[in-house]
Amino acid sequence: MIRENWRIGLLVIFVLAAAVALFAPGLGGGVAANATDGNVTTGPTNLQYGLDLSGGSQIRAPLSGLTAEGVDVGPRGGNNLTGQVASELNVSTTDVRVRPGNGSATVEVYSGNVSQRAFASALQSAGYDIQRSDVSDGLTKETYDTAVEVLSNKISESGLSGGSVQTVSSGGERYVSIEVPNQNRSELRELVADQGQVKTIAYFTVEGNRTPSYCEGPVGTNASGNGSANGTGPTTCNVTALPSQQSFQDVRPVQQDQSGRPVVPVTLTEEAAKPFTEKMQRFGFDDPSNRTCGYGRGGGGHCLLTVRDGEVVYSAGVDPDLARSFASGEFVDDPVYQTSAQNASQAQGLQVDLQAGALPAPLNLKEGTSQYILPSVAQRFKGLSLVTGLVAVLAVSVAIFVRYREPRVAVPMLLTGLSEVFILLGFAATIGLPLDLSHIAGFIAVIGTGVDDLVIIADEILQSDVSTGRVFKSRFRRAFWVIGAAAATTVIAMSPLALLSLGDLRGFAIITIVGVLIGVLITRPAYGNVLRRLLTDN
Amino acid sequence: MAALDVPAVDYTDYTDRQLAAIPLAVLVLALAVLGGWFLMTGAPVTPGIEFTGGTELQVTTGAGQAQIQDSFAALPAVDGQPTVTPTAGGNTFIVTTQSTDTDALTSAAESAGYTVESVQETSASFGSDVQQLGVLGLAAAFVGMALLVFVLFRSLVPSVAVILSAFSDIVVPLALMNLFGIELSLGTVAALLMLIGYSVDSDILLNNHVLKRRGDFYESTYRARRTGVTMTLTSMSAMAVMAVVASKYVFNIPLLSQVGVVLVMGLAVDLMNTYLLNVSLLRWYKFEGIAR
Repeated sequence: MIRENWRIGLLVIFVLAAAVALFAPGLGGGVAANATDGNVTTGPTNLQYGLDLSGGSQIRAPLSGLTAEGVDVGPRGGNNLTGQVASELNVSTTDVRVRPGNGSATVEVYSGNVSQRAFASALQSAGYDIQRSDVSDGLTKETYDTAVEVLSNKISESGLSGGSVQTVSSGGERYVSIEVPNQNRSELRELVADQGQVKTIAYFTVEGNRTPSYCEGPVGTNASGNGSANGTGPTTCNVTALPSQQSFQDVRPVQQDQSGRPVVPVTLTEEAAKPFTEKMQRFGFDDPSNRTCGYGRGGGGHCLLTVRDGEVVYSAGVDPDLARSFASGEFVDDPVYQTSAQNASQAQGLQVDLQAGALPAPLNLKEGTSQYILPSVAQRFKGLSLVTGLVAVLAVSVAIFVRYREPRVAVPMLLTGLSEVFILLGFAATIGLPLDLSHIAGFIAVIGTGVDDLVIIADEILQSDVSTGRVFKSRFRRAFWVIGAAAATTVIAMSPLALLSLGDLRGFAIITIVGVLIGVLITRPAYGNVLRRLLTDN
Repeated sequence: MAALDVPAVDYTDYTDRQLAAIPLAVLVLALAVLGGWFLMTGAPVTPGIEFTGGTELQVTTGAGQAQIQDSFAALPAVDGQPTVTPTAGGNTFIVTTQSTDTDALTSAAESAGYTVESVQETSASFGSDVQQLGVLGLAAAFVGMALLVFVLFRSLVPSVAVILSAFSDIVVPLALMNLFGIELSLGTVAALLMLIGYSVDSDILLNNHVLKRRGDFYESTYRARRTGVTMTLTSMSAMAVMAVVASKYVFNIPLLSQVGVVLVMGLAVDLMNTYLLNVSLLRWYKFEGIAR
């Protein structure tokens, strides 16, 4: 008995498993790629909904930059390659990244303003045999991984819940895809548009008229860095004291100090604290009397400049207590100080940047897509697409009843078709697939192909009286040849989309393929089995 | 069983040429439409903004169409002014433009007091990448299907019959899309791919009945036709209902309605191709092709 009806048993097991996946609390979710809080799970099921059905914003864009592959750095590993390329291209050293592999390295430049020709010739003048054809648009997977991590941090730091960031690739090109529910498109764009590189620069007056050689170029767009150029005012010097966010070990939330200014308390890492203190000592920041800061107010003095993406966002002199701890060297053991900004919202932005880190390369928003759906509209879509699906099922039912006029054939057919969709929904909940409209279209497609195949089975078996199990078996096998062949073509037709990952169509393709597989392997054999039970004696 | 039973067409009344003439004429006509479209517009079909790049806003407002047009008039015109299309409720309008200055568009809409329901922006470069991939995906799907069909039937004429009717099932809806003003979008590409799967179903069924089973050609064809027509009509009823229910006159879910419309067209064409073109090729193969 059980051996004869194992197909029905299998269907029941899968339906039960799907029910557990859909309704059991705490299950589901799966791996939502880099989701900060997981995707929003709403309603009574474990199903997750994508942008189309929950509302919010999505931005998809590539990172700007170029990659040169097969740079033969040899065993010395191209130690000074970064500096050479950076100075050749006139970009910051943080914008050049050398990734050594076995023997040869991959070199990336993180800027949208460098041409392939310029990059190739910079590598050539650094002594490497690189042609323009070795340089390609786009950046490595590792860089994208970093960017995804930074963006996830940025989103969670700024208090947006349920956001998800992931790398998607489409035809060999990578994109970062950022999705945040309940968020306005332009606000999200503002949050991710900037690279958010934060540097701390020591700015100070030097004796005499000549700028010492250790000084760096001017900072900020108003270029009030090196005073020697304009002839008036004191001669000043810029030295990078902290090159990036990586120098910070701990960043606290924005607070107000005694005078009511918004401040961000920070702690330096052990590695960063020592060289920082040494620089402070060398350039006179350890003298409590050097506390005036004239940056932007006539120039001169001793200032620490907070520079974000090349813009000076804040300048201040060193507090006498802090200067004393630089002088005594105590700062190395307790590298805590406060940085600030002009107003509370800027301080908040600074805090997010410090905490989340900087994007390795800027997002090229001009080459991507963006999407926004008002949450209430998405909610409406959710309900209406459910109704649309039900109406489609109703239409199928009417057609089936008109054709067969036999509830014993038609009712199991409908139930089987529906169980196929139910199992598929369970699958979606299990892997944490955020459902979008394209998936709904896929579900309806599955109902369509599913019922088609059940019609083939029914017609084959019903062609004349089924008297014995043997006749049944041979008919069922014949029907199955057609179903299997049709299923194989559907899978083949959909697989380019599932593999090429044409963004939004990928979900549709995956649902259709999985649906067809569930149908062929589980539900459709079970329907044959049901018919046999109903039409024969065993 | 009267209502949905297939009409008892007597295939013996018609020659193979007569049977094949209609679907082939339709196919040639469709190719002519696509060719003409290509000469006139530079592309065989009209790509939507997902492929050309541009912005689509959906706004609700009590204002009229002309008034909405005016509120975007101040923006710098890129490739002409935005087009404004009304939808179902009368209060919702779709604003489409080739411009990707989406911030300017949304702020224009907001300052005019409209509620922005959705915004979709695609850059031109992303769009052309997607378009390339779409064409590639469609071609790969078709070639994969064709290879599989050859493997399944291992003889030329029946395989060609299946592949030719699948080809026509895609080309004729494409031409109809041009005539009805439906743009090529991600949704319609999905529907065309689905058509490959759907259309091959009934062809495989027919070939299987005629080639792999004993019995008279007409008897086999009749059985296959009865099952196949049921299948196609069932799918068509589901898709037709989806197309109507999701259309802009009822629920206004464009993606679902596009998929539905294209599939209804494709399945209707498939009925014609399977039971005129495929049958005639199979009959020729069965009675003359094998004999030679």
